[in-house]
Order: sequence, then structure tokens, then C-alpha cells
Amino acid sequence: MTTEALRAPRIATRPLRRISEKSGLDTAAGHVLMVLLSIFCLFPVYWMLASSLRPANAMFETSLVPTSMSLDNYTQAIDAIPIARMLINTLVFSVLSTVFQLLTGIIAAFAFARWKFRFDKLVYTAIALTWLVPFQVVMIPNYLLIAQMGLLDSVAALILPNLAAALAILLLAQAMRGFPREVIEAARMDGARNWRILWEVLVPNLRGTIASLAILIFISSWNEYFWPLLLSRTAENSVIQIGIQMFMTAEGNQWGPLMAASTLASLPVLLIYIVLQRQVVQSFMKSGIR
Amino acid sequence: MADLKISNVKKAYDGKPVLHGVDLSIPDSHFAVIVGPSGCGKSTLLRMIAGLEDITSGEIAIGGVVMNDIEPSDRGCAMVFQNYALYPHMSVRQNIAYPLRLAGVPVAERNVRVEQAAKILNLTDYLDRRPAQLSGGQRQRVAMGRAIVREPDVFLFDEPLSNLDALLRVQMRIEIKKLHKRLNATSIFVTHDQVEAMTLADTLIVMNGGRVEQIGSPTEIYREPASAFVAGFMGAPAMNLLPATVGADGQILLDAPGNPQGLARCALPEGSPVTLGIRPENVVLAETSGAGLPATVDLVEELGGSRVAYCNVAGHEMSVVLPASDDPLEGKPVWLTLPNQDLHLFDRISGRRLEADMTTGDKLAKREVETVA
Repeated sequence: MTTEALRAPRIATRPLRRISEKSGLDTAAGHVLMVLLSIFCLFPVYWMLASSLRPANAMFETSLVPTSMSLDNYTQAIDAIPIARMLINTLVFSVLSTVFQLLTGIIAAFAFARWKFRFDKLVYTAIALTWLVPFQVVMIPNYLLIAQMGLLDSVAALILPNLAAALAILLLAQAMRGFPREVIEAARMDGARNWRILWEVLVPNLRGTIASLAILIFISSWNEYFWPLLLSRTAENSVIQIGIQMFMTAEGNQWGPLMAASTLASLPVLLIYIVLQRQVVQSFMKSGIR
Repeated sequence: MADLKISNVKKAYDGKPVLHGVDLSIPDSHFAVIVGPSGCGKSTLLRMIAGLEDITSGEIAIGGVVMNDIEPSDRGCAMVFQNYALYPHMSVRQNIAYPLRLAGVPVAERNVRVEQAAKILNLTDYLDRRPAQLSGGQRQRVAMGRAIVREPDVFLFDEPLSNLDALLRVQMRIEIKKLHKRLNATSIFVTHDQVEAMTLADTLIVMNGGRVEQIGSPTEIYREPASAFVAGFMGAPAMNLLPATVGADGQILLDAPGNPQGLARCALPEGSPVTLGIRPENVVLAETSGAGLPATVDLVEELGGSRVAYCNVAGHEMSVVLPASDDPLEGKPVWLTLPNQDLHLFDRISGRRLEADMTTGDKLAKREVETVA
């Protein structure tokens, strides 16, 4: 390329677009897409709520808004299954699973992120691999173990295999590795030992990751179906997902009470989200889990 | 307060040596600066003193006590990190108080000491802010506050000014120097910035490739660099280093077409390769012919108060510091005189300093100039 070619005013030869016009169009297109996606995601939830309010004779109406409304489905659902008890069981199971998975995850992740020890990479890989093992592979051994322990048909049995999870360890280890080394070294210089470094320096600064992980574990535990189905013998010791399934029988599905029970099962998670909406969105943004 | 003694300290990562045996002795209350290019091992050495890196072999003693296996917090050292390393979730007050809280200092005493440190560092108005709400300079002052509140025997600074802009760097440099005069604690400061090194140091330690090249006062190191590396590294613009060869009678001749000038004498045998050094401010530039090395000015850098002219001397580049002037020099032929008393001579193979007989050299230079002319 000659010097003249370099000096030529190339910018003037093509039309110049204003930044604001371009970004305005992009933003509008983005908003339209997001509205469509939101409708796509929210419609099943709305349909569940609408169906739960339709009387039995109007259950298969296709109008968007129910023509007549009734709470009969809710009364039927509450009469048919111990729904309050099941919700409490689900809450206990979900909260304890979340707390224990976070606790074991934090401690294990700290070990992997902080120390080098013999076979550390092998152990880390083994943990990562357990994440890839389908539940169906481990359910029989787990079931036999729980049966031998005499814990069948109990909430404790639901929690026991969920005390630790590979996802929590891997995510937290990654977050801890990304934490500035100098800050940990400064804490060491200041006189903090490992336990204090973990709980007073690392954990408070990983709140975003921990919060988003907690939400993921909680929702996944709340929606757990297969493991409770294997262990539960009585409705009193079961969880809400099993309760919902009770309205699906060989004789046919009771759509009204099923939708009412599903709505009730969704309420606690929805409530948690409404109360913590800002924190949930912030934590997901900060931790990079989207 | 305590002195620091480092004896034959070595460091290797996976068998690969990065420090080849460092010996240092820093007296009590001294401000020592370790300077060197990136990767020379200066930060590794500082981290070994702090206890953040294991020592492969050798001994580090603070106040006469060997610290090799002592926990970092028990060595009596406080460290200021390059990236400040403040606790993001704590306020300035909590950051400064944290080491005291860990040491079990009662709350009342802790508060007094935090307030004192904040006063010294002009942080009183920011005590309840989080690090994210502070500027770079303020964050660095908080990091220093966290260090001084511990009242350590030794202060360790790991390139603490690198992340600051030029103006703030100068201000913080002055503050650090004032702080040292006030606290009088033994301080070790690591930097790759030779201006920082020259201005702060009582004792300057120049490192290169995992070895100590020279230890001395800033003026000693500037005036009598022990090696070509030190000569080239310390000083801005850098010392001119020109390849030369020892000729007959120890006469030094520039390696250039026609060996234009014999400059000094040395005791090396004829044919020995040497490096000739001269500081840019010692070179005398003349626009009229008659004396010195003929050269062409390639480029002139304006610095406001002075100018730096980059000249081509028989294929070698030389920089010359000139007083401020509007005289356009670029592209012009000039003549450079290298006063013998300002010449430095280094062995080109070992890089070590050689003592030349400059008096004889002066005579030789004159004779050669006549020949060239």
C-alpha cells in the first residue's frame, strides 16, 4: 500500500450511521423478541392458573379468560391430599438440601481452590464425572442403602443422598479460583488462618455465586419427583410433586384439582422470587449464571 | 524495628531455578528498593521474605531470628500489594482494623489505632466507605493504613504504585517517603520503575535474571554501575552502550566501520571485546565540525525543559540530552564528544565493569580525532 493510499480519506466514501439510530433499532428489536419469549414462557403458567379456576364443566374451554370462575378445584385438592403437610415436607427437604449442598460445596471447593495435594486433579475430575452419571444408574444402590438403614418413607431419606452435589463443588471451586489471590494473601499476612479466610473473606465476597447456586438447588429440590416417588409410602411423608401426581390415575386425570394443586405448589417458589427478585437477578448477573 | 539478612536464598519452581542465591543485608530503619525488569525475581524474593513463598534453600532472618518456617503473620512484616488487596466487603475502618481484630486487640484500643492511622494518611473522612467507593490513591492509602496499624518490624511494598496514574504516583511516592521518615521502620520496596527506585532508596538493589547485579546507594549505582545491565537499566534516557574492541596498547576502539575513534585504555589483551558506556547528559554535541565523533541526528524528543537527540554514530544509536532550544536538529550532521572522565567500560562477555586508564585515553582520543578529521 502506498503512502497516498494510506492518506486517502476512506471514511468519507461510505455513509456514516449515527450511533443512537443504530442502537435504537437494535433495542426495539431486542424488546420485541424478549416480549415474545416472555409470553412463550409465561403462557403455560397462566393457563395453569386459569384452568385451576374453571369449573369442572368448563375445564376444556379454549377461551383465554375463564367464562366462569370457581374455587371448587382448590377445595377438592385440599380434601383429596394432605397438601399443607406435603408442602412442609417439600420445604424442609428443599431448604436442608440447599443448606447442606452449599456447606459441603463451600468446604470442598475451598480445598480444591486453595491447596495442591496428591491426586487433587483426579479427585476433582471424579467429582465432575459424578455429575454426568444419570440418576437412574445410582437410584437402585441408593434405594437399597436407605432401605437397609430403615429410612424408607421419611423426609430424612430424601435429604440423605442430596447432602453434597458436584454442581455446587465445581461452581464454587471455579468462583474461588477466580477470587484475587492477593486478597487471600493479605488476610494471611494479617493473621487469618484458613477457616477465617474461608468464612470471613471468601464467602462474603462470593455471595452472588452462593445466592444463585442456592436458588438453583432449591428449585431443583422443590421439583424433585423421581426420588421421592421411590421412597414414599404414605402421603403424610411425601412431597408436593407426588401429591400432584395423585390426581393422575388410571381412571383418568382430574385436571381441575391437578391444576389447583400445581398452582399451590408453585406459590412458595413464586413468593420467594417476588420477595428476592432484585437480589436473585443481581446474583445471577454477578455470578455469570444466566 | 529490625534488620533483615538474606543468606544464599534460592528458589526453584518444579526444579527450574528462578533465584540463584541471593545475599542481602538491610540495616534497621533503612529503606531498601529492589529494582529490576519483569521476571527478574524481585517480587518472588519479597514474597519469600513475607512468607508467602517457600524458600528452596538459604536463610531469611529478621531481627536475628530465622524466619524460614514461620507463618507470614508471625514474621513481624506488613505488606502493601500492587492491587491494594483490600477486603471488598469491609469498610475502610474494618479493613484497617482487621489485623488488629485477628490479633485480639480490644475494641477501644483498636478504634484509637485505626483513627491514628487514618489521620496520618488523611483517611478520616472515608472510614465508613467501601473500597469500591474510593479512588486508586485512596485505596492505596487504606492498604498502607492496614500495614502501619500493625506496627510491623518490616514494611514490604510490592510495586504499590504501578496501578496509579503518573501524577498520583509522584504524590504517593512522596507520601511513602514521608511516612518512612516518620515511622522509621525497615522498608523493602519492589519496583520496576527506576525513578521510584532512585528517589525512594537508601539502599538500592538491582536484580536481573534471578541474581543481584549490584547493591549500593542510588548515586553509587548511577555513577559507577557494576555491569552493563545496571548501566543500561538505571537512568532515563538509558546510558549509551557501544560495542568496542581493545586495540594495540589497550586502546579502546569503537566497533564501527573504520574504527573512527580510540577512546581510552584498559588492561585487557588486544582484541578483547568490550562495551563502552556514557550517559546521554555527559555527551557534548557540537554543530560545527572539528572535534568528536561525526553523527547524524535521526530524531529529537521534546521534554519541555530539555531535549533528547537520537543520533546515528557509525551505525550505532546514541542519545544525547540537550538544553531546551528551538534549533531544529533533525537530519543535521553533528559532532559528539565523549569526555573521558564520564566514560564507563564493561567486559562484553561477562558484562562486568572494567577500570580504564582514562588519562591516556584522552590523549588517544585527540590523536584519533585528528586522524579522522
